[in-house]
Order: sequence, then structure tokens, then C-alpha cells
Amino acid sequence: MSATYLQALLSGLSVGGIYALIALSFSITFTTTKTLNFSQGEFVSFGAFVGLSVLLLLSGTFDFNAVPADASAGLKFPAAVVTAGVLVGVVGIFIFLLAVRPFAGKPGMSWVMSTIGFGIILQSLGLVVWGPAVVNVPAPFGEGVIRIFGAGVRSQELVVLVSAIVIMLVFDQIMRRSLLGKAMRAVAFSPQVASLMGINVTLVMVGAFVMSGVLAGFAGVMVAPISTASLFMGLGFSLKAFAGAIIGGLNNPRGCIFGGFMLGVIESFVGLWHSEWREISVFVLIILVLAVRPDGLFGARTVDKV
Amino acid sequence: MKHVLLTLAAGLAVAAAAAGISNEFYLRVLFNIGVYYLCAAGMNVLLGYAGQKSLGQAGLFAAGAYAAAILTARYGVDPWLSLVAAMVIAGLCGILIALPSLKVKGPSLAMVTLAFGVVVEKVVSEFTDIFGGAMGIYAIQPLYGPAQPFTMTHWVWFVIALGVVTHLLMRNLLTGRFGRAFLSLQADEIAAGSVGVQVYGYKVLAFVVAAVTCGLAGALIAQQNQYFNSDFITFHLSIFIMLVVLFGGAGSLYGPLLGSVVLVCLGALLARWSWIEHFVNGALLLFALYVMPRGLAGVLSDLRSRFTTKPAVAPAAQAPSGLTPFTVRRGGDALAPDSALLTVTGVSKAYGGVKPARDVSFTLKTGHIHALIGPNGAGKTTMINMLSGIVPPDAGAISFRGETMIGRGVDDICERGLGRTFQNLRLFKDLSVLDNVLLGQHRRMGNGFFSSLLALPRARREEAKALAHGRAVLAFLGLDAYADAPAGSLAYGLQRRVELARALATEPWLLLLDEPAAGLNPRETAELGELLKRIRDRGVTILLVEHHMDLVMAISDHVIVLDYGEKIAEGSPAQVQADPRVMAAYLGTDEEAMDHAVA
Amino acid sequence: MHKRNMFKMAAAAAVLTLTAGTAFAQEIKIGFNGDISASPSAQSGQAGVLGLQAAIDDLNAAGGLLGRRLSLVVRDDLSQPPRSIQNMSDLIDNERVSMIIGPTNSGNALAWRHIPNQKRIPVIGFSGSATDITKPMAAGADNYMFRVSMVDRPQVAALMAYVKRNPASKVVGFMFETTGYGQGGLRDMQEIAAMHGIQPAATERFAVNDTDMTSQLNKLKAAGVDTLVVWAQGAPLGHLLRSMEKINYFPRLLTSWAADNKSFYDAAGPQLAERAIFLRTVTDERSARQQQLFDRVSPRLASTSSFPFAAHAYDGMMLYAAAVRQAGTIDGPKVREALESLQGRYDGIMKAYERPFSRTEREGLLASDFRWTHWKDGRLVNYGDDVVRSLRQEDFRM
Repeated sequence: MSATYLQALLSGLSVGGIYALIALSFSITFTTTKTLNFSQGEFVSFGAFVGLSVLLLLSGTFDFNAVPADASAGLKFPAAVVTAGVLVGVVGIFIFLLAVRPFAGKPGMSWVMSTIGFGIILQSLGLVVWGPAVVNVPAPFGEGVIRIFGAGVRSQELVVLVSAIVIMLVFDQIMRRSLLGKAMRAVAFSPQVASLMGINVTLVMVGAFVMSGVLAGFAGVMVAPISTASLFMGLGFSLKAFAGAIIGGLNNPRGCIFGGFMLGVIESFVGLWHSEWREISVFVLIILVLAVRPDGLFGARTVDKV
Repeated sequence: MKHVLLTLAAGLAVAAAAAGISNEFYLRVLFNIGVYYLCAAGMNVLLGYAGQKSLGQAGLFAAGAYAAAILTARYGVDPWLSLVAAMVIAGLCGILIALPSLKVKGPSLAMVTLAFGVVVEKVVSEFTDIFGGAMGIYAIQPLYGPAQPFTMTHWVWFVIALGVVTHLLMRNLLTGRFGRAFLSLQADEIAAGSVGVQVYGYKVLAFVVAAVTCGLAGALIAQQNQYFNSDFITFHLSIFIMLVVLFGGAGSLYGPLLGSVVLVCLGALLARWSWIEHFVNGALLLFALYVMPRGLAGVLSDLRSRFTTKPAVAPAAQAPSGLTPFTVRRGGDALAPDSALLTVTGVSKAYGGVKPARDVSFTLKTGHIHALIGPNGAGKTTMINMLSGIVPPDAGAISFRGETMIGRGVDDICERGLGRTFQNLRLFKDLSVLDNVLLGQHRRMGNGFFSSLLALPRARREEAKALAHGRAVLAFLGLDAYADAPAGSLAYGLQRRVELARALATEPWLLLLDEPAAGLNPRETAELGELLKRIRDRGVTILLVEHHMDLVMAISDHVIVLDYGEKIAEGSPAQVQADPRVMAAYLGTDEEAMDHAVA
Repeated sequence: MHKRNMFKMAAAAAVLTLTAGTAFAQEIKIGFNGDISASPSAQSGQAGVLGLQAAIDDLNAAGGLLGRRLSLVVRDDLSQPPRSIQNMSDLIDNERVSMIIGPTNSGNALAWRHIPNQKRIPVIGFSGSATDITKPMAAGADNYMFRVSMVDRPQVAALMAYVKRNPASKVVGFMFETTGYGQGGLRDMQEIAAMHGIQPAATERFAVNDTDMTSQLNKLKAAGVDTLVVWAQGAPLGHLLRSMEKINYFPRLLTSWAADNKSFYDAAGPQLAERAIFLRTVTDERSARQQQLFDRVSPRLASTSSFPFAAHAYDGMMLYAAAVRQAGTIDGPKVREALESLQGRYDGIMKAYERPFSRTEREGLLASDFRWTHWKDGRLVNYGDDVVRSLRQEDFRM
């Protein structure tokens, strides 16, 4: 029986890693610009397909119905991850310029709708290029099952988990130590003051959306071998990641990461109990957390300046 | 009345045209236009007026649809009764979805509404015993006329009738007291509370209005189709409802109609290339927002105003003479002059290590001008915020006209006769000066939801009274020339005065002014001083936070000095000026400086 | 002001298009209503359109029908019920098609089947397999819904017969996906299991986009389930097998025919995919006629595993053409009657049809036309074991 719980924990942590990555991507833009990309899910899907296209090109084919079993072997997968990260990062610039900047800081939160609109366009473009089909992506380290005390886990799940943790640690250090991190925190604190200090606020904001896009693209490619790639895969992940971010506290990156992992584990354990309650419980949880702590479990309290 | 007749005529004309259409596809398109108009009309109240982003309207649509479906198909309830029940149930769900909005704002609220939509989607697709899941519910009973169930033409007539009624009701509701209150939420919740708008109550109301119309639309779809399943309820539906409002023109009475006509027709035309429609919707959502931020309705009204010359502005209705008392309807009697109006006893407040108030006590007397002064960071604004209920004190008592103010809401305190202005102007910038002032009258108006919705005589009477009073206040402050200008478009000094007018319109016993002279030139400052004295002479007690010592010393009867959250002195201007502690606070504790100051 | 103008414009536009719509009546229009772009089931929709177009091309090459040419009108429903309903009205009331093939999602068929029944336009399903689709709206009412496709009920009947006959199946578990497809299948499973007196030890569910079902599987494992019947779409079935591998738990696995989908094969991988046993209308061991059509449409098929949909649509169209010839008219009620009493024999892609439909029989393909199938070396081949061979007609309870 303990193997069952361990299995639930491992499964929860590996999917939680993806939630945490995407939750972090929400937090980055929220702390710096007070806005979020409501179509982050489409970014994740887009990243997965960009990565898949790279894998196919490197394997000398473009037939999405016959992905070679060794398409992810060797350096192809890292190449796909990097390309997807870069490309989706570039899309991040566009969404900032087209959908966020015109509306950020103005009353009415029009950016909620404009980012959703941007996502719909991105998805429509994706449908034209790649079609609606579900495509399998081979894992870079093969499909074998690794056994840990009776619980099984796939290589890619470990890869996702480890790389998610590494990325978050690196990010944490960047935010705390580097000049860029300090600039971002300064902008988060007050764009006006940051600008007086000689920080190029627009550049920092663009940078935040680029980083957020990179994370989304990265998450898309990493999760594709587990979930199979589809243009509709991102919405579910991003919704739960958003939930994790809200639970952890949108303005606290570490809280977001914790929220993402927590959600994955909760989901997995609720599945052990009553699978029909899995997704409902997640969203009921957000409503409860927000009712008690409107800024999330670890979020700093926001005070309206009067 | 003219508008009512025109709307009725338009409705009848479309109904007559519909009678001549035999192609059911066109009838169906008309029906869909009507249904989405209903959704959008309610959503417009929530999104366009109250400014609340709800991404979970599909959940409310589902509430109405499933209520009608289950009641008629499972329990054999009369279809008409079920339709009404569906609206009630959806309205209750609206309260449910609104509750988190009392706690959270902004993106988190959008997320909560989105989560609500997702939960509903999951519930109706997973709890198949009750909701039939994706296999759906059959044999939903359609509405019926005298002889037989509705035909497609009947359905179209019915939604046209509902559309006309909804439009007229929304117009009644939104052009008066309630419309202004909703708009004030969108502009600035804190300011809305400070003029007496019950912020939470109005938010919930906006959610309920949106829920009822969405539920009605859902019930109509379910009853017309006689079958409903969980695939109808998707995130796309929520987005589409929002798009109809935004594209048509949020905050415009005609926006929802324009949006539903254009988008439903577009969908029907693009049916053979559906993927384009998806793309087009995305593009509209993105670009409509900055190409036409006020939607189609905004574009049309701009066009119209370009081609029609504005009639010369009629001189404002004869402003009542300056002698009209502008405290006309507040309850209670004036206290005797010099009696204690507001008593602060041992009030403390701390934000972590910062303590903007430490055991402060003072008394404000009826008919006096009091000033609250102190160096930056002394805790003056925090004190004003505690008095007006925006910030709760950690300890101590505040009593106003003999009642405790601790634990009361901002709007409640306003109702009891405490008005205020803000250090950093909090005007409703997009609203006209007159509307700002009328919002000040909000709490003094007696027309409730139903009398406003139905435009009963009481509502019209109250509106006329408020208008007369608002104009009187504007005349008193010399603002009548700017009544129709958007408040945000005025010069800074005038904006300060509009804020004062808005506070005065709440008919306060006590007026809290947070740096009213900030940014004014010396001449304007002097004028302000005269104005404040005239206000005081009309029976309004004033507490002034100010840095302009000239002004303070010239008009105050009594000065309170705060430093680092502590009251260090109070008394007449002369007494305070002579107090060494005050000088120390202003100039530093340096002995030499103090000597210098005294000299 | 605007409101009135808009109403006027809408009314004028409506009247204009109304008069234009009735102008031509010489062609016989055939409608298609299904998802061809928006969801993973769009592949079956695209295949259906290809098969339908092939049939129409063949008919036109042979001189059309009743001397009139056939044309195809395609409407995409994006898998959304409201859109599907509107398309149905568009096709019938506006385009005035004489027959419709569709849809791709069972739920959408349920959402609009009252419309063709009211308008008396025959509809032939080629993909949606929910049992209820072809039931009459009311007992004894005229029914315009036909189907040439897989049907859930006989599939489930066959799988349950297998469970009953298999001496190794002692503890049975059910799993289903929480979509209309999965839920419809579950109901059939429960009803037929009850007829056999089979009591499932556990019933578990998962969402269509789930990738890890180990929690649910562990519960089945704990319940000692040795035979698992699963109703779900291709990709989640594949993930189910992967989750089975994770906890090293492999009960006898009987699934819905969605396991024939390439998405299942890809998701599960070549080895695990071979563990699922299911029924299919065509295997990769094709007949000559099937091969002929396959060669014709496969260059444009997004995935070869969606070929059956092309074949179903082709046969559906040909059966309709036969009924029109027999009735001598495209009038809906007469064609329906002709379909219900087709004379002669039509050699179709799937089989030779002899009086396929009657007033009560709506299914062109029956349990006897289904093939036990499994994946073997990347191909869908006939499956046979002692249990399959021992099945008798009386084992199939419906």
C-alpha cells in the first residue's frame, strides 16, 4: 500500500513540476508589470509544437504522423528545448507589445481580454500550421519505467522534475543576486522610482515577458513526451498552474512554485480517493484559499494606498 | 416615453419581419442574436458598468439551462414556471460567484470566476446521475402558447419581446442612481465607498443581474432545443459572451445589441470556414480593444457626433440661489454649536514597525474649522482614513454624533454624515462633473432597485431632487460651467474643487479635507480659505489636513499637531505656533534651531 | 437610434439572402456536418469528407442521381453543440440538402437529431458510435437517423461476452473517460454486464487529457481486478497503458474501438499497444474494394487509422443513392421508406449490404460485421484466441 502512496506522490510531483514552472512564469510578469498572460496555455502548446517541429526537421522529416522513435535522441531534444524557449520568448515580446503594453496600468484590466485574444490567434495559427491532431513525442531517455521502492516513474518525468527544480533554483538566484534580478524587483516595487534610478522600465518589462515565454515554451517541450503534444494541451496545465500561483501567492515566486507542486500532489492524492473530485477539488481549493488569504498562502499583503 | 415607443416600434418591426421569414435558419440566427443579446445585456452591467471581469459566465448560463432542463424533464414542472425558476437559480449562483469578489480583486478575481466556470463545467459533465453529462438531458419541455408548443417563429417573437423588455429595464436602471453607482465601482472603489456607495452590495447586485440574464439565455437555449448536454458549457462560451460586450461596446446601452447582431451574423456567415471564425474572434478581441476601446457603439456615436452639430449648450437650468441650504435630506438634527461632534479616544495603528497613530485623542467641535498638521509621515492621512472607515484602528474609540464609528463600513460612515476628499485626487475621471456630484447624493436618494428598474415615479422624483441639489452645489462652488465636462479633463485646481463638491453633495456634518490646497497657487489658496469659511458658516464642521501654514493659521479655529503618530500639541493657531515641541517637530530637535525658530 | 437601424439592416439582409437561397434546385445537395478543424476528432471528420466526396465523384461520373448532379456542402461544427445545431439548420433550411452525413461527436448528434426528424431529412452517421443516436424520438415515430459505423452497444455486447466466456476473468473492473463518449459507453457496459450477472468490482474514471492514471489503477489493483473494460478515446487509452506499466499491473484489457486510433498507438508505444483487444469495422488486412478506396483517399488522409470513417461515409452515400433510385425521388419520407426496405444487394466497401435497414434496424453494420482486432507490429490485425473462437450467438446480449 505504501507503494501506492509513493506512486501518487511521485506522479503528483512530476506533474506538479510542470505546474510550478508555468506558475513561475505567471509570477514573473505579475511581479514586474502587474499583468498576466491569460493565454499562457496556448504558449505552452505552441512551444511543444515548435519543439516537435525541430525534432522532426533534425530527423529529416516533416511528417507529423510518423515521428521517428529516435527523434529525441542525442542533442536533438536539447536543441528543440532551446529553440522552443527562444521562439516562445520572442512571441512573449509580441504579446507584451501588442496586448499588454497598450493596456497595462490603465483601469479596466483590458489586458485580460487582449491576452486571451492573442492566445486565440496563436492557437488558430497553430491549427493552420500543425492541425488539430494529437502527436506523440518520444522521450529523450527512452520510454522505460524506473522503479523506486515499488513505484514506477518514467525517465521523462524525472527529467521534468529535476529540470524544473534546477530552473527554479537558478531563477531564484538570478532574482536575488544579479543586477537583472534587482532591476526586476525595483520595477516590481515601483516603475516610476525604478525609472528615476536609470532603469529602462520598458526593457525590464519586455524581459519579464520574454522570460515568461521562455518558461512556457520550455514547459511545453518538456511535458510533450509525457502528455503527447496537442494544441489543446496547454489550457489544462496553465489553468492549474494559475491556480497554483494564486494559492501560493502571485507576487511571491517561491510561493508560486510551492503552489504548483502542492496542486500536483493534491490532485494525485484526491485521485486515489475519488477521481471524479480531482479537478473540482482543485478549484474549490482556490476559492477557499482566496476567501481566507486573498493574496495567497505566501503572498505579501497588498495594501491599497489611499 | 419617446424612447419606449421607439423601442417598442423597433421590436414590433423586427417581429413582423420575422413573421414573414419561412427559412428557419434565419429565424434561428435571429433567435441566437436575441439569446446572446440577453447574455450580453446583463454582462454589460457587470463588465461595462461595474468593471468586474467575469470569465465564468458559461457557468451561469449552465445554471439556467440545467435548471430549466431538470425541472421540466425530470419533475414535470411547467415550462413557464421553470423559466422563472431558472432565472432565480442562476441569480443565486450569481451571488455565489460574487462572494469571492468581496475578498479578492483584479487578476485573482478573474481567476476565481474562471475557476467557477471550470467547476460548473466539471460538475455538469461528471455528475452524470443529475446532469446527464455529455449524454445530456432529453425531453426538456419547450415553452408553449395557448394552443401548442412554440414554433421557431414564436421563439423569435419571444426573444424579441424579452430583448425589448430587457433593454428598457436596463436603460431605466443604468441611466440613474444605479448606473452611476456601478460606474463608480469601476472607476475607484475607495472613492465610491467614501461617497456612500455600498461597494460590496453593488458588486453582488451586478453579478446577480448578469447571472439572471445569462441564466435566462441558458434556459431559452435548453427549452428551445429540448435537449442540453455538458458540451454546451465551455470556456469559449464565457469568452464569447465577453467578446459580444466588448466588441459591441462595454458601458453602452446599445453595445450588447450591436455586438450580438454582428458576431452572431458573422458566425453564421463563416460557418463553412469555421476555423477563420475562431481566428476572427481572437483578432476582434485583441484589436477591438485598442482600435475601438468603446466598441462598435463608441465608433458609431463618434461618427454621429462628427456629422451632427452639437446644439449650443443651453444655459444651465436656473441655478438655485446661493442661499439654498445644501444639506437638505440627511437625517438627524444639527448639534448645538461648539458641542462635541467627533471624539477620538486613544486611537492607535501600526503597520509592522511603523506606527502612524499612538494613543491619539482629540475632539472636533460643531461649527469649527479644525486643522490637523504635522511633518511628513506624522500620520495625518492615516488618521483621516481611520475616521472615514477606510483603515480600521488597532485600538481606541471613535465616536461621531454620539455613535461609535469603529467597525462601520466606509459607506455607512458617509451615510451618517462624514464626507471626505483625498490627498491624491480620487475623482471618477471619466464621469462628468455633474455625475461626480450626483454620486455624492447617492446615499441621500431614496429610490431602490425595483423603483429604478421600473422607472417608477419615485425614482424620477428622487433623480430630479438630486439633480437640483447637485446643481446647487456646483453653483455654490462656481463649477456650473463645467457640469458636463469629464471630471478628469479639468485643470488640477478645478478637479480639487470638484472633489470638494462631491464631498459636499453627500450632505456631511463633518468634512475631512486631505490637503485641499496641494498644487494650488497662492491666489487659489486664498480663495479656498474663503470658501471653507463659507462652508463652515453653512453648518458643516471641517477637519483640514494641510501643509500650507498660511491657510491653516488664517482659517482654523483649532489646530492638532501630530508627530510620528503622537499628538504633540493642540490649541488655537497662536498657542500651537508658540509650542516648542511643535517647532522641534518641524525643525528638528536641534537646540540652536529651536532658539532660532523662537527668535 | 442604433438599435432601430441595426434591426432594419438585419431584416433587410435576411430577406435578401432568403430570396437568393431558393434560386437553384437542379443539383442534389448532400450535406456534411461535423468537426473538420477544431479538435482531435477532426481527423475522422476529414476522412469522412474524403470518403463522401469519393462516393459523390463516383456517382457523378456514372451520370449522377435521377439524372441530376450531386454536390457536397460541408459545414464545420468545431465539435460545439450550438454550432452543430446551427449548421444543421443551415444545411436543411438554407442550403436545402437532401441528406446529411455526420456528425463526428455523438453528443452533437444527440443535440440536433430532433431537427432532421422534424424536417424529414435522412441523416446517416459515419462516426459517432453512441447507441442512442439512432433511437427514434418517440416509440413508433418515423426515424430519419441511420448509421453505417461502429456502434457502442454491440461492441460492448461482444466485450462482455468475452468477459463472460473467459475462464480467467474472475474480477472485472470498468474504467471510462469523463466525456460523452466514455459516459455513453459506461452506461452500455453497466446494462449489459447486469444482463450477464457480471458485477464490476470497481468503476474508475479519468479525464480526457489525463496522462497519469496510476491512482485509479492502484485502486483497481487493490480490488484484485483481473479483467478491465475501458471506454475512452485513443490518446487517454494510450496513457492508461503507460500508467499500467508504471505500476506493473496488466489485467486483461478490453477497450472501445478508439484503440485503433494512431494516437493510441503513438501514446502507448508499439509494445504496450499490443495489449489492448477491441473491435473494429476494418482491419489492415483489407479486402480488394477496401484497398481500392484506401489507395484513393490515403494520400490525403491525415492518418491512415482514420480510414474506416472514409469507408463508412462512402457506403452511407451509396446506400442513400440506392434508396433514391428505388424511390425515384429525393423526397425525405419516401427515401426513408426506401432505405428501410432496400431491394437487391449493394456491394459496399465494408461488406455486401442486403436490406441493411428496416423500420427498427438503423445500423448498417452489425456485431457480425465487427472484427476482433489488436495491434501487431504496427498494424491492425485480426485477433483470435480460444475465448473469441468459443463465442456463440447467444453470448451476445444487448
